[in-house]
Order: sequence, then structure tokens, then C-alpha cells
Amino acid sequence: MPAAACGPVDGTVEVVDPGLPGERPARCVAVVGVSEKVFAGHFPGFAIFPGVCVVEYVQRGALATMPEREPGGRWVLAAVESSRFLSPVYPGDELTSEYVWSRKDGGWRCRASAATGRGPAAQIRLRFENRDAPGPVAGAGERSEQDRGADAG
Amino acid sequence: MITVDEIKRMLPHRYPMLLVDRVTELVPGERASGLKAVTCNEPWYEGMPDTATEEDYHYPWTVLIESWCHVAGVLVTWDRPNPDVRSGKAMLLGGIADAEFHRPVVPGDVVEHHVRLARQVGETYVFEGESLVGKETALTIGRLTMTMRPASDLTAPPVPDPL
Repeated sequence: MPAAACGPVDGTVEVVDPGLPGERPARCVAVVGVSEKVFAGHFPGFAIFPGVCVVEYVQRGALATMPEREPGGRWVLAAVESSRFLSPVYPGDELTSEYVWSRKDGGWRCRASAATGRGPAAQIRLRFENRDAPGPVAGAGERSEQDRGADAG
Repeated sequence: MITVDEIKRMLPHRYPMLLVDRVTELVPGERASGLKAVTCNEPWYEGMPDTATEEDYHYPWTVLIESWCHVAGVLVTWDRPNPDVRSGKAMLLGGIADAEFHRPVVPGDVVEHHVRLARQVGETYVFEGESLVGKETALTIGRLTMTMRPASDLTAPPVPDPL
């Protein structure tokens, strides 16, 4: 994880329980402060936390709770596979989140639930990939070009 | 071409959450394209230490999705201005499916968002599209749902994703 994470949220995510894959989910908490920078513009006179900012907090909790990573790996968010926003989040809300992790095609995927004191706020599935993982076998692309050349010839 | 002053008559979003600079194409009820210039001077980069790497400056994917959403917002509100949620409506994100991140976006890039309206059910809109930097695809969005709700409604949960 980059040392200086930049994003649209101002708070920090605390890991309440790192969890145990296959046994119990990881749990995190973050406070959506009244002074979050996004509220000034979203919206003037009616502050409501953007859905993408909920995803941002959940992404940070995911990076903090991802199970054993290969040493030297560079894990990045590859996709928001799905996200359903169930209820609004407002200034001052405490956002709790749970993460169930599974491996998929060499990457890690989590199913996360985020909630405020009023109930479920979002259900989010994220996929992370290791950008420093070994790439495809060298020469595979050249082979296919040669095959095409042979077919054309 | 729709400029920022006109966009601000359509959308209630304001700094630092107005993330579209120009709408370059709009076919009502169908599609829209718009531009977002990415700069190191955006608030997400405030406080970046001098030790930050090039990777640290990758534009947050969540913010890029929001920027794409604002082009969708203009497509929906261009002919019925909604500049104040207190008297109008709030555009709420209902859901996202298959948002894939391909090429990181960095300061100096101008992102071109393409939004297509796939379906409309009452005040719920389903979009799809992608974001490009030059010829390279940075982001693809399989499906994104937004709902227009009056601010007074907002103690209740949003309309469920009809799909």
C-alpha cells in the first residue's frame, strides 16, 4: 500500500479484527467526520457522503485486512465488481465494515458489508491484483504472430 | 459544448466535488461525453509528502468513477436544471457493476468520459461506458445506476437496483 494514500476521504480506517479466512470476517471501523472535505460540495446545504467515498473507506479497510500477501507484491485495486448502496451516510456516522476474502485467478477478492448506526449502508465486492506478479510466458505473443504468418503464407 | 458555468446550472455539485470540466457531446436520452482535466492541484493530493512516488499520484479510482458519474448527471439534468438539492433533487448512486481499472490516470492527463444511457425506469437511470486518456482506456463501467430523489426523501433507503 502506498505510504501516502490520496483520496476523497479524510479519516483513517481502524482494523477491529483482522479476521481469519474461512472462519470469521475481518472487521474495520472509520468515522465519517463532519469536516470531511467532500461535504462542502456534496451538497451545499445538504451534506450526504458520496457513495464512492464509502467505496474508498471500504477499499482502505480491504487493503488493511487482505490475507497473506506475497512478499514484494504490489497489490492494486483492479475492479469494483459490484456495489449496492442501501442507505445514505451522513456527517458524523461511524462506518463499520466486514470483509470476507477469497482468492480468484491469482488475485484477492473480498465481499464487504458497510453499515452505519442506522443499518446496512453498502454491499461491495472488490478485486485486487498483484501488479508485480510474473507476467505471461515470454514469447507467447511472438508465437501467435508466427502462427498467423504461417497461416497467411 | 457545455461549459462549467452551464454545468453548474444543471448539477448541484460544487467544489471540491464538481468533477467534470466540459461536456463535449450530448444526445438527449442516449449518451454524453465530457472531459476532466487531472491536476496535481486537486484536493486529493494535498499534503502529499516530497517522498511520494509516481504511483502515489495515481488518480484515485473512486474519484474517477465519481467524475464519470457527473457526465451521466448532465445527460439526465441538461433540460431540467437541478442546481440546489434543497429545492430540487439529489442524484444518488444506487449501484455499480463491473467497474474495471485498466490504465492509471495521473496529473497532466485529460480524461474523456463516455456515458451511455442503457435504461430508464421512472427516476432511476442505468448507465454504461468508459473513460479514455488519449486512445488508452483507463476505466470501463459495465453498469451504474443513479436515482434522482428529493432531499426530503433521504431518510429512507434509495430505490433498489431494478436489475
